[in-house]
Amino acid sequence: MADDDADDRFLVQAAFEDNDLINRIVFFEDGEQLLEYYIAEENQDAPNLIFLDLNMPKRDGREVLRVIRKNTKWDDVPIIIFSTSNAPDDVVASYQLGANCYIVKPSSYEELKDLVLNVHKFWLQPKAISC
Amino acid sequence: MKLSTYTLLRRSLSEQQLSLITRFLFGTSLVLIIALSYSYNEINQELVNYSEKVNQTQHVISGLNKLSSAIYETTYHADSYIFLKDTVYINKTLAAIKVVPEITKKIDSLIKDDGAQRKRLNFLKEHAGKFCDYSERLSRPATLINPGAVNALYKRKNEEIASMIKLIGEMNKLEDQLMYTRLQSRDNYMQQVYRYNWIIMLVAVVFLSSAFVLLDRELRRNKFYRVDLENKIENLNRSNSELEQFAYVASHDLQEPLRKIRSFSDRLVAKYKSELSGEVFQMLEKIDNSAQRMQNLISDLLSFSRIVKTGTEAKIINLNTCLSEAKSNLSEVIMENKASIHSESLPSVEGYNSQIVQLFQNLLSNSIKYRHENVRPVIRITHRLVDGEIIPGVKPSHQDIQFHQIKFADNGIGFKKEFADKIFIIFKRLHARNEFAGTGIGLAICKRVVSNHNGYIFAESTEGEGSNFYIYLPTESMLT
Repeated sequence: MADDDADDRFLVQAAFEDNDLINRIVFFEDGEQLLEYYIAEENQDAPNLIFLDLNMPKRDGREVLRVIRKNTKWDDVPIIIFSTSNAPDDVVASYQLGANCYIVKPSSYEELKDLVLNVHKFWLQPKAISC
Repeated sequence: MKLSTYTLLRRSLSEQQLSLITRFLFGTSLVLIIALSYSYNEINQELVNYSEKVNQTQHVISGLNKLSSAIYETTYHADSYIFLKDTVYINKTLAAIKVVPEITKKIDSLIKDDGAQRKRLNFLKEHAGKFCDYSERLSRPATLINPGAVNALYKRKNEEIASMIKLIGEMNKLEDQLMYTRLQSRDNYMQQVYRYNWIIMLVAVVFLSSAFVLLDRELRRNKFYRVDLENKIENLNRSNSELEQFAYVASHDLQEPLRKIRSFSDRLVAKYKSELSGEVFQMLEKIDNSAQRMQNLISDLLSFSRIVKTGTEAKIINLNTCLSEAKSNLSEVIMENKASIHSESLPSVEGYNSQIVQLFQNLLSNSIKYRHENVRPVIRITHRLVDGEIIPGVKPSHQDIQFHQIKFADNGIGFKKEFADKIFIIFKRLHARNEFAGTGIGLAICKRVVSNHNGYIFAESTEGEGSNFYIYLPTESMLT
């Protein structure tokens, strides 16, 4: 998950924990950190899912999305845009760049918890779906 | 702001004065030029008159000369007859006599206006008549026989000649004098008039050139103000779009901390539900409610700031379609409240479709929301054409245009008269939150939509008996 907001990182982690989900989450503070991780040799293991914030310092979510979707590496990893913006322009642009899903950050924790559970059900249960 | 208004006022005042002065200068110059041309015309007339008079005088003088020579001729022929007795001279004398009255008649016609000369001419005529008579009698052969009669007649004839010559001399002298005084008065007149004309011309030239200078300055200033105005419009547009941007960014960024407040208080409740006392629980709920309310306010502010003129292009839209779109957006609320909506056929106008849908939707939901508890809401929508001048507070430029009046009449709870304007102000509400939910943005958006379309919106109501909302949209497109 790449998000510059520490609170959001904490809340997502908490939502996973409170749903008793044990997935390993790697956090990045901006797009650049995520891309460094992406390029590095030792991290050849593809993640099951990427949570990507749109507006981040250094390199934003759009750039990360563009890089990953242009290359073959991780090309089958689902990417969920997780942003505060509900502007139609952002939504359309994200899908055009190859996002699998666009989720506006919910404003209550309960909603977030439900959302994480749904995401897990849909994208992360190993046998439920194969991309 | 105050200062600039003041300078503007002062500037426009002095501009008005300047334009008055310019007009005065131009007007006066025009009058002077007209006077000048009139004066030259007069001079011309005067010269013509003068030359006519000189001509006349010369004719008189030449007439008098002819008269003298006719007299001499008559005398010569008559005398020749007396001394030579040659009858040839009789006819010559008679022929010369005939000329005299013709000449006097001619002179008479020339000096009609001159009393003194006329008097002399009359004397002259008398003498000439006698002279002719004596000469004629002397030319008779019968007279010649009697030497005494010849002597007497000859003597009397000579007396007449002397008187005539004297009179002719006087008349000649008088005509000469007349000519001289005329010449002098003409010179005087011309000198004076020429001096005045010079002054008039000088003043006209000075006035014209100063008017030109003023006009030139005015034009330059106008150009300067036009450029200034263009700059100001550009600045205004820029600051407007900056303000829109600001409203958007601010409301967007303000949402963030609120979301955190809500999320964390939510999580606090979720995680420590069992350990929390009822009081703490309530307080956390209050925090959440307040945060939620602020979130609603901000998101309403955001939607209000999005209703701007720029963006989509205006096109011809059918208001009936807009209304059905609004009704379908509200279908759930309409069903729930069993509301009935009756509408006349509505016209088409040039405008922004989504904004008009929003306008209708807000008015309908407003009417349904403020319903009487046990009365089914009924909304009647009517349309008619009205003249701009009947609209209260209409802009002067809109007075001559026709407007579509679209009236939304409901049977809801209405409001007190004094709130008719206030309900359109953003976040202004007439009811407590626990009576009716909402932030007070709906009608503010309506007002903004209508003013985006160069229209007007008013509300009237009697408390308890429903409200009427009047929308006025111009029939002529004024959106560019």
